[in-house]
Amino acid sequence: MKEKRSFGDFLSSFTGLAITLLLSFGLVVVLMLILSKTPGKTIYAFFIGPFTNAYYLGNMLNVAVPLVFTGLGMAVAFKSSVFNLGGEGQTYAGGLATTIVCLALPATNGILGGLLALIAAMVCGGAIAGLSGYFKMKWNADEMISSFLLSSAVILIVNYFITGPLDDPNNNMLASLPLGGQYGLLQIFRPSKLNVSALFAIAMAVIVFFFMNRSHIGYEMRMCGLNREFSRYGGINVRLYLVLPMILSGALHGIGGGLMVLGTYHVLYEGFSFGMGWNGIAVALIAKNNPLGVLPAALLFAYLDAGAKAAMLNGDVTFEIASIAQSFIFYFVTAQALYGIARKRRRAA
Amino acid sequence: MSNSQYSIPLVYNAVEIMTPFLLAAIGGLFTELSGMLNIALEGLILAGAFFSVVFAAATGSLLLGILLGILCAMLLSALFGAITIYLRANVFITGLATNLFASGFTIVLAYQIFKTKGVIQFPNIPKLPVLSVPAFLQRIPFVGDVLFGHNVIVYITWLIVVVAAVVIYRTPFGMHLRGTGMNEQTIVSLGLSPRRYQLSGILISGFTCGLAGSMLTIQLAAFVPEISAGRGWIALVAIYLGNRTPLGIFIASFVFGLAESFSNYAQGAIKLPVDFILAFPYVVTVAAMILYAIWRHARSGK
Repeated sequence: MKEKRSFGDFLSSFTGLAITLLLSFGLVVVLMLILSKTPGKTIYAFFIGPFTNAYYLGNMLNVAVPLVFTGLGMAVAFKSSVFNLGGEGQTYAGGLATTIVCLALPATNGILGGLLALIAAMVCGGAIAGLSGYFKMKWNADEMISSFLLSSAVILIVNYFITGPLDDPNNNMLASLPLGGQYGLLQIFRPSKLNVSALFAIAMAVIVFFFMNRSHIGYEMRMCGLNREFSRYGGINVRLYLVLPMILSGALHGIGGGLMVLGTYHVLYEGFSFGMGWNGIAVALIAKNNPLGVLPAALLFAYLDAGAKAAMLNGDVTFEIASIAQSFIFYFVTAQALYGIARKRRRAA
Repeated sequence: MSNSQYSIPLVYNAVEIMTPFLLAAIGGLFTELSGMLNIALEGLILAGAFFSVVFAAATGSLLLGILLGILCAMLLSALFGAITIYLRANVFITGLATNLFASGFTIVLAYQIFKTKGVIQFPNIPKLPVLSVPAFLQRIPFVGDVLFGHNVIVYITWLIVVVAAVVIYRTPFGMHLRGTGMNEQTIVSLGLSPRRYQLSGILISGFTCGLAGSMLTIQLAAFVPEISAGRGWIALVAIYLGNRTPLGIFIASFVFGLAESFSNYAQGAIKLPVDFILAFPYVVTVAAMILYAIWRHARSGK
């Protein structure tokens, strides 16, 4: 009985998602019909463009990688009923930590150096987010607000490093000195930028899934997320679970930023990760905070991004059309009423 | 004497800078009190900023431009509210959607109309009028210098804050709005619709954010992409720091305005990297927030 019902739920939430996507994509088509002078070409580029060659396809998958990490970071926090609004700064700081470590190390062992750099990114992101968790635990200061403010300050401080001490005088763009070639992650789908970090992303989603659903700590975190007061009576150290989810969330964001630098850019560009934190929130919510669901949700976002790039190159609309398309999906994806329609239809059938 | 030479422009500018925060926060307070988290303030400000300056340039009338800008921000807030309340969507994610939509839509529209994604200047729009006050008020030391001589939107904002306080605490509408936030069932049992109060709260935030946005662009006589620049988020911070009261929000906005005013002044005067100085308002706000939390924590401990 139980299994049947959960399959039914799955079906209706799947139909609901399909309605959401059809509605959102329909609105994108309408928008392009209005904005574009050659709508047929632009619409084709937007929807089909990302699949037309290996370069586009690989880059699309590569864009999904950091979104998996930021999405997982948000899912861990949301599952524990902790709000991390500082993902932007934590991801950006992860990139900075990675760059500093790679630039500081003597150029010998790329793999060991890369690993140290990622650990630095993890610690850096975790510490920034953990601070907000600590303020919450210690003095009940709203972590949502403090994480956002800290992140805003951190972004400016990272900018300072890029334009100040790490600045590359030979690069016209706002960027740090390039990382040594030995740190580049293995490309796995040339000529695109897709690299082994995609495999790390999949592995991380599986690890986080098992951690949240099968481990003792994961269980206590979820219990605190469901009902903190009840968990306290149950003997769970609830104060710990104000800080720990924030640290884990920040650490995941940090790794995401670090991998972007190591795998894709090999240099720290100003603003390289902007949008990853906010989109991570959406990815997590679309995935209903399920770590495995984060994978397809991140792909969906990468697809919109790739579609908008293709539409810009082959059509006559600007890239910002991607933000509008994303906003349509945001608007409808959690709309319970749309899922209700799906549920009713199924019952009637 | 040299002390006031610095402090007068510092506070004068703070009063100007705080106005958009204060406006957005006061509107956001209505949404907050009705029990909804309003993270769409940022996008609503941006919509107001874009449309008011474009309409002001198109119609040649400042008033018409501002009113149409406010209308557009309210339309966007209506979309946000309708989807959140009537389609029962997650308010957090529809708020993000509103911010994304405003940011994408203003740039796409600017590109369609003005063929640029950069700064668009409107040199021909009229200037915001300055409120004239009797000379004896202007002559009050310090207070006269910092409080008067601002543009009219600053004073309209103060009026809005007072009206908001009266509406929230002294009218049936305000009581029901707060009741909706505390316990929806009470409102239902009175035969009223909680959804109507929630939608009103969102529309009011659209109104004040629209005005906040129009002040940003009309003062500059230009539209800059992403000109809202985090002001909506700071407004949200002000609501929480201000303990969800109009007076508290006024004080919190002033603290942030003062920090930003100081940071603007310091860019010319202090030898520190600009990015550190720009980060200063955020650091001050975090510090204020933590100190306030410690104080509240200590008080509740006793």
